[in-house]
Amino acid sequence: MDGVRIEHGTASFFEDRQRTTLGRLADALIPAGDGMPSASQAGVAGRWLDEVIRLRPDFGPALAGILERYAAIDAEMAITDLQTSDPGGFFVLTEVVAGGYFLNPQVRQAIGYPGQQSVPIVPEQPPDYERDGLLAPVVVRGPIYRPAPGSPSASRKTGV
Amino acid sequence: MPENGFDRTPDVLVVGAGASGAVASKRLAEEGFDVVCLEQGGWPDYSRARAPYADFELTSGRDWSWDPNIRQAPADYPVDDTESDITALMWNGVGGGTVVYAAHWQRNLPSDFRVRTLDGVADDWPFTYEDLEPYYVRVEKDWGVSGLAGDTAFPKGEGPPLPPAPLSAMGRRVAKAHNDLGWHWWPGPNAIATRAYGRLNPCTQRATCLWGCVEGAKASVDRTYWPVAVDRGVQLLTGARVKRLLLDSRGLVGGALYVDREGSEHEQRAAVTILCCNGVGTPRLLLLSAGGRHPDGLANSSGLVGKRLMMHPFGTVVGLFDEDLQSWQGVWGQHLHSLEFYETDTARGFVRGAKWGLQPTGGPLSMTRSYPWGTENPIWGPGFHRDLRKRLGRSAMWGIIAEDLPEEENRVVLDPVKTDGDGLPAARIRYRMSENSRRLMAFHQERARESLEAAGAYETVIAPFIRATGWHLLGTAVMGEEPARSVVGPWGRTHDVANLYIFDGSIWPTSAGMNPTATIAAVALRCTEHLIEERREQRTGL
Repeated sequence: MDGVRIEHGTASFFEDRQRTTLGRLADALIPAGDGMPSASQAGVAGRWLDEVIRLRPDFGPALAGILERYAAIDAEMAITDLQTSDPGGFFVLTEVVAGGYFLNPQVRQAIGYPGQQSVPIVPEQPPDYERDGLLAPVVVRGPIYRPAPGSPSASRKTGV
Repeated sequence: MPENGFDRTPDVLVVGAGASGAVASKRLAEEGFDVVCLEQGGWPDYSRARAPYADFELTSGRDWSWDPNIRQAPADYPVDDTESDITALMWNGVGGGTVVYAAHWQRNLPSDFRVRTLDGVADDWPFTYEDLEPYYVRVEKDWGVSGLAGDTAFPKGEGPPLPPAPLSAMGRRVAKAHNDLGWHWWPGPNAIATRAYGRLNPCTQRATCLWGCVEGAKASVDRTYWPVAVDRGVQLLTGARVKRLLLDSRGLVGGALYVDREGSEHEQRAAVTILCCNGVGTPRLLLLSAGGRHPDGLANSSGLVGKRLMMHPFGTVVGLFDEDLQSWQGVWGQHLHSLEFYETDTARGFVRGAKWGLQPTGGPLSMTRSYPWGTENPIWGPGFHRDLRKRLGRSAMWGIIAEDLPEEENRVVLDPVKTDGDGLPAARIRYRMSENSRRLMAFHQERARESLEAAGAYETVIAPFIRATGWHLLGTAVMGEEPARSVVGPWGRTHDVANLYIFDGSIWPTSAGMNPTATIAAVALRCTEHLIEERREQRTGL
């Protein structure tokens, strides 16, 4: 399967040369800067690649093909070419790179993203938009719907 | 006749366990009818809902894809969309589209039922908003809808049973902007429980509603209706794909031939059959049921089965703000909606309108994708970290549901080549966006941009048009009074077959510019009540 071995139907193991290529491409997509590590520094071609492919084994074959195709091509040229010639492949590459990057807990902490958190709804009575009058202008303006001929709403435009 | 049901057993076969099938099955069972429902898929597996985990964004598309052509699960059938501007999205399983919908709960407006009368296009519905209003109220209680009564875009009436979700920081910004502009807004109506309600838990605002609600707070009918219906005795058979409907010598439907997941065929007999398979699945099944007396498909003497497909062109406009709005959190769902430009104003150069819903924008991985951000705004390269900080948590977006008008050229047909896993012809859709739709969308995108700019957005992005937005499948078995110009009558009964009904979105004469589940549910309940009331007059098959 184009250099990617699928074991037990889920885990995949890319070879060093493929990881090297991925690291080059990944760093062109996410370079170091603004106090943030590059993609390869964050482990996108290392442990997070394994984790991404474990979670998304469907990405494996397409990724392997991309890494083969661009093994000896300048990273920025490769990305430009992939984006224009194979948008589906470009999506896979960017999901693998950014997906792996944002799995790294240190990256998540650095960007201030704790994940999709559970934030229970606290009932407010009255709610803020009634308490501070935010909704009042809408109510004062009155009904905006168009009455429909032949239906009672035509003669019953009473709004709120 | 017996007091309950018809004089045959089972009384009713429902095909499809989505919104309309759930409403019909539960209500019929409450009245003592013996009901069997055949559903080609299974129950949703919420153990695959990954909201609490770091891999949520990466895995959500794996297990909760909306596109049957991508999912390719055993319950899915291919939909050839190569000739379509928009692709058809659906969930084939218990709960149907409500498993993956955004739960925006929008009633239609009075004008939606009088399009021909008011705007001189398309057709009026055979009933009014006021006729349907009591059924909206009832399904909103069954569903557990949250929202605020008194919305000035609607006629006065009873509101939903639960209070609305919080506006959120982004909602308050936009609300204030609309007040300054003099534009309508209202706290968003959602089929999301804001408190414990029936079988629903309270929402915890993870903004993962479209990819498996892990909290059990989103009102999908696998949670709200089916457990009740099954308790009441409805026999729900999953993994049961209907191949065709069975006709008796009198031209009545006697039930259906279906195939189970092991490939075995079965006949399911019933006195009355109701199709609830969505705007692609229902015409597909009618066309698959073509036979000697119905060479062009069952219930198709009008020739309109499969025609008039409407899918709601969808637009998105994003705003970037210089404030931390935590915009990966909240209901998704809608924080608020606006119907300011919903009604027709011919000075705009088109008829009809659209509803806007204000939504979160997602976590960091969503900030890197070409939708909604556009390939012309790539995040990749030296500006990655700067652009990520601009977008993540500091953005909000309007989702725009545009009304499209029925055109007979937009249609569902059987695919002459492709088949599903059981060898049945796949569906093929052809859909082209009209000039009216294009003008409508362009107008609304510009107004939505103005809205976000007024709210303080220092930059806005009109999302590129993408095809994968056909969540709403409507119109392909149109309802009307005249048999020559419609497939079903005002109560969902097919003109041609006296014991065959259609209750799903196929029967909509026009699409409105609203998310359709509220009206699909209310119409299904209205039709069901009529079937119950008229049961003594009902001709039955077998």
